[in-house]
Amino acid sequence: MAEAEIALDIQNLKKYFGGIKAVDGCTFQVPKGQISGLIGPNGSGKTTTFNLLTGVLEADSGDVFYNGENIVGLRPYEIFNRGISRTFQITRIYREMTVFENMLSASSMKIPVREARERAEQLMEFVTLTKLRGEYGGNLSYGQQKLLEFARALMTDPDLILLDEPAAGVNRTLLNNLLEHIHHLQEDQGKTVLIVEHDMNVIMNHCEKVFVLDYGVKIAEGLPEDIQKNEDVIEAYFGHR
Amino acid sequence: MGQKEHLRNFGMLAILIIILCALPSNINLYLRSVIMFTMMYVVLSLSWNIISGYTGYVSFGHVMFYGIGAYATGILVVDYGWHWIPTLFVGVFVSFVVSLIIGFPVLRLKGPYFAIAMLGAAEGTRVVATVWEDLTHGGEGIGLPNVENSFETYFAMLVVMLATIVVSYWVGHSRFGIRLNAIREDEIAAESLGINTTFYKLFAFALSAIFPAAAGGIQAYKVLYIDPETEFFILVTIYMKLFAMFGGKGTVIGPILGTFILYIVQEITWVKFPTAHLIAFGVFIVLVARFMPRGLMGFAIDKGWARKGMVH
Amino acid sequence: MQEKAEIRSKYWLAVFLVAAYTIPFGVGIYTDNVFFDLQWLADLTTVILNGIMQGGVYAMFAVGLTLIFGVMRIINVAHGELVMLGAYLTWMFFFYVGVDPLLALFITLPIAFCIGLLIQKLLLNAVVGGPELTPLLITFGLGLTIIHIVEAIFTTDYRTIPYAPDAFQLTETIAVSRSKIISFVMAAFISISVFVFLKLHRLGKAIRATAQNADVAMVCGINIFHIYMITSGLAAALAVAGGALVSIQFGFNPETGVLYTLQAFAIIVLGGRGHYIGALIGGVMLAVIESLISFMIPNGTAMVEIASYGMMVFVLLIRPRGLMGPKEN
Ligand SMILES: Nc1ncnc2c1ncn2[C@@H]1O[C@H](COP(=O)(O)OP(=O)(O)OP(=O)(O)O)[C@@H](O)[C@H]1O
Ligand SMILES: [Mg+2]
Repeated sequence: MAEAEIALDIQNLKKYFGGIKAVDGCTFQVPKGQISGLIGPNGSGKTTTFNLLTGVLEADSGDVFYNGENIVGLRPYEIFNRGISRTFQITRIYREMTVFENMLSASSMKIPVREARERAEQLMEFVTLTKLRGEYGGNLSYGQQKLLEFARALMTDPDLILLDEPAAGVNRTLLNNLLEHIHHLQEDQGKTVLIVEHDMNVIMNHCEKVFVLDYGVKIAEGLPEDIQKNEDVIEAYFGHR
Repeated sequence: MGQKEHLRNFGMLAILIIILCALPSNINLYLRSVIMFTMMYVVLSLSWNIISGYTGYVSFGHVMFYGIGAYATGILVVDYGWHWIPTLFVGVFVSFVVSLIIGFPVLRLKGPYFAIAMLGAAEGTRVVATVWEDLTHGGEGIGLPNVENSFETYFAMLVVMLATIVVSYWVGHSRFGIRLNAIREDEIAAESLGINTTFYKLFAFALSAIFPAAAGGIQAYKVLYIDPETEFFILVTIYMKLFAMFGGKGTVIGPILGTFILYIVQEITWVKFPTAHLIAFGVFIVLVARFMPRGLMGFAIDKGWARKGMVH
Repeated sequence: MQEKAEIRSKYWLAVFLVAAYTIPFGVGIYTDNVFFDLQWLADLTTVILNGIMQGGVYAMFAVGLTLIFGVMRIINVAHGELVMLGAYLTWMFFFYVGVDPLLALFITLPIAFCIGLLIQKLLLNAVVGGPELTPLLITFGLGLTIIHIVEAIFTTDYRTIPYAPDAFQLTETIAVSRSKIISFVMAAFISISVFVFLKLHRLGKAIRATAQNADVAMVCGINIFHIYMITSGLAAALAVAGGALVSIQFGFNPETGVLYTLQAFAIIVLGGRGHYIGALIGGVMLAVIESLISFMIPNGTAMVEIASYGMMVFVLLIRPRGLMGPKEN
């Protein structure tokens, strides 16, 4: 396979929490128009990396280039408006707003309301939440909240989608629909997707490239089947931690 | 479905306007001023509701904007001989500018810290109004010329109230309002999903600052005497907060309903039991906060009389 | 480095504090209230000493608030009203029964403990851990209620208790009033006892464990609701002790409680919310700044209130953890 274009170029990213080196000089390139996976044992810094990429946390040092622009130091909404959207590992839906309002809240103010509404309807339909459109977000089950987050993240038609454990708590059938949709986004619309996931089936069957983090450092990258055999990765997951 | 609902709501508003326009010439002076002050508190609680109900930044010092409006009118009418109507616009403008200056730092504080910082801001303005004697006449206050005509202030207040209701209605049925809600619910998520929280908070804060200034100005012209103690009286903030909370914060109808009910109650009890009435208000705040945080509207939603959310 | 932001904020806090202490001098020089002669220096020393003494009382207001915050993450805005209530209780025992204001503590503290316990049980236990603003509104309403009940009974007149008003002559020119010294000593004694209790007693340790992590404490067999109630009782007792100290040196009326809440709040923000020693240090620091302000700035007494607010807002913006508070995310 030819070298793909790079969507996100992460250079030497660092974030310490006091003594904890959550992300410690992480460098990797997310290929454009592909689905990539970011894996690693618990506490290896995956979520922190997402938070750094989206501006939720301020990086101690390092650069992130998106379309040639260094986005470190931008505020989260500025990064979002450049086309990077995300979901959260621990869902952050708006609990006292209805499902429909959750969806609308993420629409761009640049498009007319009518269009935003239509898009919200379609996405709700897709994640099977139409029946619950008037229900408070806080009353949804955990899995439904994950779905709502996923749908909400797609409201603005982003180019790069960061998903933090989308499979956790979502039932098989829906998960398959979801993954299918992600493939559709990637194949037909050329979107880039980066998935953090502990479910190895998802990673192995759906990602073209996988990055492995351990103690905040990238220890391996490559095709899923290569990663599976990689000594360092096995060590990180099963070795003496 | 949206269309119909808006029509119905505006129909109700039109009926209210007609009643309020027809009333004053048929009632006595006392009732006229009671209704005027009720309308004033509708303005105040709806304004408070924009920043505190929709956006979740509970202000304990909103009286400051009301006081600024009152002082703008007092000073310009007495010391500069202006007609009172244009002074309202000056008050609104000053309030707007002050809200931006104060809001920028203070809106970075969260929850209780914002609340208490606003209390401080209001007390601070009161101290300034007391100390800056050249401008404000200090603690002795300002007496306004007694040319007040109870119809003028009544209709001025009606206009300000309608403006507040229309703006609140827009906030309560637009993506702008939804974004404010999102900030209330989870500021980090809101910011990560494309909302410039700094801008929206400041915008909401400024909106909630301008109407109380107009109301304060009209009120100054009506009561003929203002001083720092009464114009920056914390009780005014307590009222707007309580009325909005009781009716249901974060809705349009809630604060209006809450004001109509509670202001009338306080008007009746005030004269008969001046101290007991304040004790009762304290107890009432405790009870509302503890047992019905979503107010009457929350109750209506639970009963199925009203729908959840503001955009459907 | 993560530490960078940390060091930066520490640096800014230092700059802010230096500014806070020098601004009064600046304004004083500008308005010709500062003379560098011996008499003035002696006055200044007196003022600073008085400030430190007063700081003891402020610390009394603040430790209770910081305890509640540390254990339950609740800001009790009725705290100053409890101080005010304490002043009135002491006053009542002094005037109607003739009990010495400090001996009265033996009666008022148990009463206060019960009040705190009841408030916690009836109003606050159910809202710990919920939205932060609910307890704020509840205690706000509670404060309003207390103010007006006291007002209904005692009117808004200022009360005082004449107690050891004579001055203690340190040198010929420097004097501190005896009541201030007595209350400083009392404050030091009480706060150290409570500190020792928290460090050594089984119950004190349980309180600290709950403050650290309520879930873990619960798993370890601690009944956290009991701990909450005891904490509130203790905080109320500390507030009332503060009130007793207030009553022997200042005038008070039902509305002064609002100012105490504010000062206590500024102090715990400065010292670090939830930090016990921080509250003691913050109390002294705030009191000294206030004394400097009222000494050198014309109209300074009106400005004192502003100083507290300014302190609070700036510290929260610059360094939310204050001088020594725990780091939060
Ligand atoms: N806000 C924070 N403050 C302090 N430490 C943090 C913070 N966020 C994360 N950490 C620490 O940083 C490390 C990395 O955490 P992170 O959440 O990024 O891991 P993760 O790879 O997403 O793990 P998981 O698979 O369990 O979700 C952990 O040791 C965690 O305790
Ligand atoms: Mg994670």
